[in-house]
Amino acid sequence: MIEYTLSILVHLALVLLLSPLVTGFNRTFKARVQTRRGPGLFQPYRDLYKLLRKGMVIPETASWIFTATPFILFVTTLLASLLIPSVTAQAPLSLFGGVLAVVYLLALGRFFLALGGLDTGSSFGGLGSSREMTISAIAEPALMLAVFTVAIGAGSTNLSIVAQAGLSQSWRFLAPSQMLAFAALFIVLIAETGRIPVDNPATHLELTMIHEAMILEYSGPYLALIEWAAAIKQLVLMTILVNVFFPFGLSPDWSPVPVLISLGLFLFKLLLLSIIVALVEVTNAKMRLFRVPELLAIGFVLGALALVSTFLFQG
Amino acid sequence: MTIIILLLIPLVACGLSTAMRTRQWMEGIHVASAAASLFAAMLLAAEVLRQGPVSGINGFLYADHLSALVALLTAFVYLACAPYAVGYLRRDQALLFLAPSDDDMAALAKQRMYYSLTPLFVFCMFLVVVSNNLGVMWIAIEGTTLASIFLVTFYGRPTSLEAAWKYAMIGGVGLSMALFGTVLTYYSAHLVLGGDSVSALNWSVLVQQASHFDKPVMRLAFILILLGYGTKAGLAPMHTWKPDAYCEAPVPVAALMATAVLNCAIYGLARFYVLTVRCLGTAFASNLLILFGLLSVAVAVPFILVQRSSRRLLAYSSIDNGGIMVLGLGFGGALGALAMLLHMTYHSVTKPLLFLSVGNIQQHTGNDSLRKGARGLLHVLPISAPMFLLGALAVTGTPPFSMFQSEFMVLRAGFTGQHVGVSVLLIICLVIIFGGFFHHVAQLVLGPPSGAPREVMSRWKTYPVIGLAMLVIGMGFLMPAPLYQLIDGAARVLAVQQ
Amino acid sequence: MHFWQDVQFGNRMITLMAAVVLVLQIMMVTQRWLITNIRAFALQSFLMACIATTIAYYNNAPHIYAAAVLMLLVKVILLPVLFERLVTRIDILQEIEPLVNAPISVIVAGLLTLLAYVVAESFHRPDEPMGPASLGHNTLAVAIALFLIGFFMMVNRRKALTQVLALLSLENGIFLAAISLTYGMPMIVEIGIFFDVLVGAMVLAILVYRIRETFDSMDVSRLSRLKG
Repeated sequence: MIEYTLSILVHLALVLLLSPLVTGFNRTFKARVQTRRGPGLFQPYRDLYKLLRKGMVIPETASWIFTATPFILFVTTLLASLLIPSVTAQAPLSLFGGVLAVVYLLALGRFFLALGGLDTGSSFGGLGSSREMTISAIAEPALMLAVFTVAIGAGSTNLSIVAQAGLSQSWRFLAPSQMLAFAALFIVLIAETGRIPVDNPATHLELTMIHEAMILEYSGPYLALIEWAAAIKQLVLMTILVNVFFPFGLSPDWSPVPVLISLGLFLFKLLLLSIIVALVEVTNAKMRLFRVPELLAIGFVLGALALVSTFLFQG
Repeated sequence: MTIIILLLIPLVACGLSTAMRTRQWMEGIHVASAAASLFAAMLLAAEVLRQGPVSGINGFLYADHLSALVALLTAFVYLACAPYAVGYLRRDQALLFLAPSDDDMAALAKQRMYYSLTPLFVFCMFLVVVSNNLGVMWIAIEGTTLASIFLVTFYGRPTSLEAAWKYAMIGGVGLSMALFGTVLTYYSAHLVLGGDSVSALNWSVLVQQASHFDKPVMRLAFILILLGYGTKAGLAPMHTWKPDAYCEAPVPVAALMATAVLNCAIYGLARFYVLTVRCLGTAFASNLLILFGLLSVAVAVPFILVQRSSRRLLAYSSIDNGGIMVLGLGFGGALGALAMLLHMTYHSVTKPLLFLSVGNIQQHTGNDSLRKGARGLLHVLPISAPMFLLGALAVTGTPPFSMFQSEFMVLRAGFTGQHVGVSVLLIICLVIIFGGFFHHVAQLVLGPPSGAPREVMSRWKTYPVIGLAMLVIGMGFLMPAPLYQLIDGAARVLAVQQ
Repeated sequence: MHFWQDVQFGNRMITLMAAVVLVLQIMMVTQRWLITNIRAFALQSFLMACIATTIAYYNNAPHIYAAAVLMLLVKVILLPVLFERLVTRIDILQEIEPLVNAPISVIVAGLLTLLAYVVAESFHRPDEPMGPASLGHNTLAVAIALFLIGFFMMVNRRKALTQVLALLSLENGIFLAAISLTYGMPMIVEIGIFFDVLVGAMVLAILVYRIRETFDSMDVSRLSRLKG
């Protein structure tokens, strides 16, 4: 029991500490590719620390939803992260729910975030919420299709079991359904974490911003929670991508040596994926908002094809 | 040996025509090769009648009664069209259709194209009927499309490009379906025969093993083959390229396409039909054939009734007759197969007569319209016009002409095969087609003289028409015994019980 | 034994490549740039050649190597180069609006894929042992899907060149079926098929050029004077 509690705590610590680093790495790496110096690897930590110490301005028109949103977002995202195997093949809360729980915990957080954006009555908040919901309305089916494909392949929606199924069959990731699902999820990752062809989190340009428009009224510790939650969400999605499709080296239990190897491999896989994401961001221009659904539709088609091809190639 | 000679004659003619520098030589070679082809086809038929199926080059070539019959019909149409083409192209040259002005070299180049591509076209059709390998047969059928595509664009008008485009694209899709069907047939045979030897697609081998083929695969294969070769035969609803192509190609080529190519496509269909019947029983294949056959006949009806162009009228008549042949095959049994082959034979004699006389009319009046202009052609074209009327009567199945017999036989096969409803529908369609056809042709040919002077036509263009007309009349009363034996033998090849 | 000698690995590679082929086909359905279409077709044919090579490797079948090389020469190099030249020469870069717009055509393509699956399912033999000879049998559904989607593309497109490309990609489907079901038809037939495809494409390329000259456009929908 103590061991179990401990594993949850270790996991939480890992997620909380690692997520800003991933964001920081992404920014620094992009800057380096563009031959800028960049803000430095640990800037997100400094940002969070700064925001947590500051006072807050809460709009007069805001209701309880405005106050509750950061906490709900943070907690749901953190809970979702506990459902995904990151270092050990068994996720800490795997008995609590499978991939559907992950998807809906994230959706709940997004729902409240959109409400929070609407709550203050500012026009930017409403704009951001409406855009966010438009995109997620298309991204979510793609996500679900990809996830179902993986689940059908493994015979379970529990991500821990999926990862273990991947461990037991070498070359499983080469199956067309897996590859297509990976491609679909990658597009979803780009869209959901507000990466460049879809959104640019570094700017506050009213014509294009999505995520930033929603949280424009937040400040201080609330903003810190939201930013942190966004970083965790990015880590969650990336972990799904690397550990569900390429579960090499996941440790079966908490014995130290395999865990260390597993941790190293996990960081390495995350590094590779972040580099790819950063390269996509650097080599692409931001899309017009009306073209974004087309990109997501490609993701949807890939997800559908993934699902179809599990049946197509069974012979 | 005869088979190889049969294949070589048009091939050599094609090569020689490409090399010739004067028109007279090309014309001579063309007519000679046509005559030699018919002779070789007759020899082949005699050989088959004497000693049964013959084969050549290690079983690569194979000719039984059915092959010999279709080869004979092809060669016959080739010979009927060859001398006519000479007169037709000379007249075209005089009318400056071939080259813009008195540019003799350009006109010669056009004629060289005609005289070399047509034998190649015929060669492909011979290869269709004598190849044993179903894959090679497919290649040869695709070859007929490729060889004739530049004959369709012969006059280089915008409309001929349009027709050629439709011909190429619809034909291409259709033939790819047929190829898929061939692949699946090979697969369903491969599961039984094993091995990957070259003979694994040979019809003579397949037909003996057909009852063991994989049934679901064969079912799909036959559907694809029917759609594919049905496109080539111009069965509805894949018939849309046909009127355009017949309208734009030079008349002798159109005559070849309307008869010989139709025969070849139905020949290909029949070969697969035999395999399918042996594998799956008669019901499946027959029902499909009856469906497409009846549809073709029915589709032809409205288009014939409202037709404005005489060449398109003939195209729809060809769709109609293709449908009747497929119906005959679909009704099945010895009677159905015999009726189908008789219809094929009579059609191959009658349809060229129509095309050639329409060609004469068209070259005289300058268009092929049924509506405007020409009336009372009887007085202007004393040979071609009545022959056209005669052919029209024959092709719609008026007694005592031969096609009445074969259509009657198809109907009899339908009634004996318990397809009463289909047969009744067929009778209704045939009657309407007769009415429409006769209405158009009578308007064109009969009527008061328009006062135009009588046309003095070249003998190249009239003698083939007269010859064909005499054959059409003669065949109504008399069928040469060897030809009947050949048809009967071919019907035995088709009328398999499973 | 190296891992690449394992039939299971070969099977995975073939199915993966077949999946990419299908993705490319669906991409071609929505793509309006002619050059991109041509390159997608070339890539698709290249993957076909790779599939053929894989099957040839595990079956030790030299004549399939020959088919792969033919594929490479004709459909990966020769025809795409010819077509790209044609596009630059007639200076038409983009397809006009197809009959059915992109999202709906993707849905149609998806439905056709499902249909292909249903058709291929009836041939499914679960009892067949996994071996070199049965390599790629599970790509039959993809082959039929390529065939059907190619057919749909031919109907849907209005430029002459894209119609030709659709026809050729449809033939790719047949090639896949031939090579995976029967590991190559008898050699003589393969050569004939490629010869035909080559000659056919040449004829069509010439025709496309002449249509452009005569109509000043490659728009097939303007070829509609012949009626009835």
